[in-house]
Parts: sequence; C-alpha cells; structure tokens
Amino acid sequence: MNWNILLQQIVNGISLGGVYALMAVGFGLIFNVLKFSNFSHGGVVTLTAYVGFFLSRYVIANFIITFLLTAVAGGLAAVVIERLVFRPIRRKGYPISMLIVNSITVAMLVQQFFAVTLGADYYTYPNFIKETALHLGSLTVSKIYLLMLGISAVVLGALTYVIQKTKIGIAIRAASSDIFTPSLMGVNVDFVVSVAFFFSGVLGGITGYLLGMTFTVDPFVGSMILKGIIASIIGGMGSILGGVIAGLLLGAAESLLIGEIGAALTPMVIYGSIILLLLVRPQGIAGKITEIKA
Amino acid sequence: MFYLKVLEITSLYTILVLGVYLMTGLTGLFSLGQGGFVSIGAYTAAIAYLRFGVPFPLALALAVLIGALLGFLVGIPTLRLRRDYFLLVTFGLGEMVRAGLLYLAQLTGGALGMAGMPKRVGLPLILGSIAVITFITYSLKRSRFGRDCIAIRDDELAASMMGINVYAHKMKVFIISSATTAYGGALYAFDILFIEPNLFNWLESAKLIIITFVGGLNSIAGVIAASTIYYSFGEFFRFIDVWRDVLLAVVVILVIIFRPGGLFQGLSLLPSRLRRKWR
Repeated sequence: MNWNILLQQIVNGISLGGVYALMAVGFGLIFNVLKFSNFSHGGVVTLTAYVGFFLSRYVIANFIITFLLTAVAGGLAAVVIERLVFRPIRRKGYPISMLIVNSITVAMLVQQFFAVTLGADYYTYPNFIKETALHLGSLTVSKIYLLMLGISAVVLGALTYVIQKTKIGIAIRAASSDIFTPSLMGVNVDFVVSVAFFFSGVLGGITGYLLGMTFTVDPFVGSMILKGIIASIIGGMGSILGGVIAGLLLGAAESLLIGEIGAALTPMVIYGSIILLLLVRPQGIAGKITEIKA
Repeated sequence: MFYLKVLEITSLYTILVLGVYLMTGLTGLFSLGQGGFVSIGAYTAAIAYLRFGVPFPLALALAVLIGALLGFLVGIPTLRLRRDYFLLVTFGLGEMVRAGLLYLAQLTGGALGMAGMPKRVGLPLILGSIAVITFITYSLKRSRFGRDCIAIRDDELAASMMGINVYAHKMKVFIISSATTAYGGALYAFDILFIEPNLFNWLESAKLIIITFVGGLNSIAGVIAASTIYYSFGEFFRFIDVWRDVLLAVVVILVIIFRPGGLFQGLSLLPSRLRRKWR
C-alpha cells in the first residue's frame, strides 16, 4: 500500500467530512431543543443548493456575497418552516411523532417540488476558483476542498462560541435540557426555538451551497442528510463536538473505504458498523444519552 | 378491466401500508426503511424461484421468513434505545439494502433489475391477503397484547412501570410488521414481474408512513381508504400526476395540524386516543 495515496485519501475525506459535520450539527441542534429528528433539514439543504445556484449564476457572480446570502436564505427558510409547520403542532401539545411526520413531509415536499420543476436538468455553479491545487510535499489538495474545510471550521467555531458564551446561546441550552421551565424564568421559548431553527438553517444553507459548489445541483442533494444523520449518531445525538469529530471521521473512513473496497460495499460497511456501534456504545462518542423523560 | 388493474396495483400498495400501520399504529415506532423490507421480500422470492427453482408458495414463505429475520436483527440494537435511533437506523437500512442489491449483481441482476417471474399473483390473492392482514391487525389491537402495545405508544415510561416488557413487545410487533412488508414485496415481484434495487427508496418508505398518518393511527379503515385514494390517484388524474407527491405533502401537513386524528377520524373503530401525549 502506498502511504501517499492513503494520506491523500484521508485529506480528501476530511474535507468532505467538514460538510458532514455541518449537517450533523444542524440536525443535532434541533434534536437538542425539540427532541425530534428533523428531516426537513435535508429540505433546507436542497432548497439552498438551488438558491445558491440561481444567485451566483444570474444575480451576482461573487463568491462571498452569494455565500452569505445563501446562508441567510437557509436560516430564513428554516424559520418559515418552523412557523408554518412545527409551531402549530408544538403549541397544541401534540405528540412528537407528529413533528417527525411533518418534518419527513417537508423533506418530501421540497424534493418532489424541485424534481417536478427543475429535476430534468443538472445545474453547476460558476467557477469561482481557478482549479489550482495546492501542493504540499507529495500531497495535492484541491483549493475547493480546503475552502470547504476552512469554512466548516470557522462556522462551527462561531456556533460553539454563540452557544457557549452569549445570552441566546445559554437560552438555547436551557431549552435543550427542559423546554418548559425556561418560560417560567421569563425566557421567550418560541423566540429561542426560532433562533435555534435560524442557526440550524444557516448551517443547512452553508451545507447546500458547499455541496452545490462541489458537485452538481439536483433535487436529491438533500438525501446527503443521511451522512449528517449517521455522523450525528456516531457523535452522540445532539452533541456539537461529537458531531464534528464524527463528521470528520466519517468523511475520512468513507474515502478510505471507497479506495480500498470500492464504492458499492462502502455504505454497507458503514451502516453495519453503525448497528454494531449502537449495540456496544449507543451514546456515541460524546457519551451523552438522551433519556426519555416522564 | 382498467379499473380492476388499478385496484390490483393499489391493493398491492395497501398491503405495504398495512405493514407500516401494524407497527406505527400499535407501538408508535417509525421505520424509514420499509422499502428495504419490500426489496428484501421481493428479491428473496424472485431469487429463490428463478435461481434455485423453489416453488412459488415456498418462495413466498421464504420471503416472509427472511423479512422477519432481518427485522429481528435490526431490532436487537435499536429497539432498546430512544425511538429516534430506530427511525434513523432503519433509514440507513433502506439505503444499505439498496447498496447490497446493487453489489450482489451476480445474484440480483444489479441495476438492471430482475425480470422473468411468472405471473402468479392476481387480484383475488391480493384482496384475500388484505382481508387476512386486516383481520390479524384488528384482533391484535383488541387483544391484551395489542392494548399493552397501545399503552407503549401513548406513554412508554408509564407502560414499563405497569410491568409491560417494552422491548419484547416492540420486537414482536416489528417482526410481524417486517414479515408483512416482505410478504407484500414478494407479491409485488410476482405481480408486477419486474423489480430493481431503486424501486423502493426512502421516499417510498416515507410515503407509507405519511399515508398511515393521513388515514389516522387509530383507524384501519381510514388507513386503507387513504392508501386506496393515494395510489389510485395517479391513474385517474394523469394530467397532474407529477404533482401528486407535492399535493400529498401539502394535504398531510394540513391534516396533521388541523385533524391530528387523521382525515377519516369518523371511520375509526376504536376511540381516538391520539390527543394524549407520548414522548
């Protein structure tokens, strides 16, 4: 085995793993606060992949501006989804299963909408970066991958700061441990939930943009959420740090496995390992287990 | 003739929906990997028949057996954990089955799919199966076991405090549901006569759940009605068929917000307990 190739695969894998980490954290944030699996996150990813494409292709061909606009669009989309679809159910105190069904439905709605309207074509982003690769010794790192990793790192760092240090972050964490009590302390829980959805949507928007930029845009980009969900399980549901580590690990493992045993067997090995992991250590890397509360 | 054909295909899907209803209606578990079980059932029966010359009834039985076994294996690590893990792992399972079928191309024909099964399934067998499955589901719901399961669905913690073995109950229901779904898959293979790995992706699995909720978790009749309407819709309204899923999604969101007991609440045979909270 050639060590250079091995190292090269790990580097590629970690870059993609950064995006998995973004998805895992965006998914986990909502799981933390409302305790349900938010499949509509995949819908936000698909939606923003298209938004990013149309902005950069037809409005302004500037990477930074379109990137930021897409991130904000993702945040707003998530807030709108929360308002229209999740809040009415939450207000009436319906069971969590209703939230899950609605989130699955939103994911389906977005995917099918784009499949019907724009599904016939593939869309590619304009080339922002002259495809120049960096050569570090014997390694070749594509700039786009490096940029992806850098953006993921900065965004996740910023999110960690907000969650840990700011007032709204504290409110989100309070709502995560108990959604009812903070309202007794004068916290506007509806607002906190909206903000959590906004953050999650921003992460989704960034994910959509990066995925769209790296690959082509089609209605099924949102299915990549599966990778984020897997990373989220490995990391321990809802833990930011765990999600990041697991995302990077998953990216690297996937890239290595594809190199060694081929693209067909890789998903089977990965899902098989997940099932084993749940048998041995269901709480994942971060070691936090979400108990069912009375 | 045309209507009979529509009824046949619609009823085929209704069997799959009933498989989901068994599980979600009784224990509140969601599986996004039902498509995986459909594929497993379809491929098991088809491979047994075509490659190993197993007679059709035996091939059906084999499909049911393999489906139940797969359900058991997936259930072991996931059913002890929070429901979300079950949901997420079954989501992965569907994709895993798809990847597996593509990988085992020598046996399964890979992306080209499998054809060449003789037509062994017709309307009588399908409708008969629906009747039997409905009867089993109904009896299960009325039995002590079924009531225990509904208690688990409504409040898992309280149910376990009352001495109900939550894990064992969920496991039994999941195995029955997997077997039913695999059976539906096997019928599919010998009715439609062509199967391929991408036939049942996560979207198809999601639709099964969604239709169950539109019909109402407490109403077998409602679920069958919802399934019949949805799956025959495309045949009668071809001009807007492509928008079918978008329309379904919008309807579902409205139904869940405004009529959480399901569109056909009035058809339910048991009192609605959906307003009660479980978590």
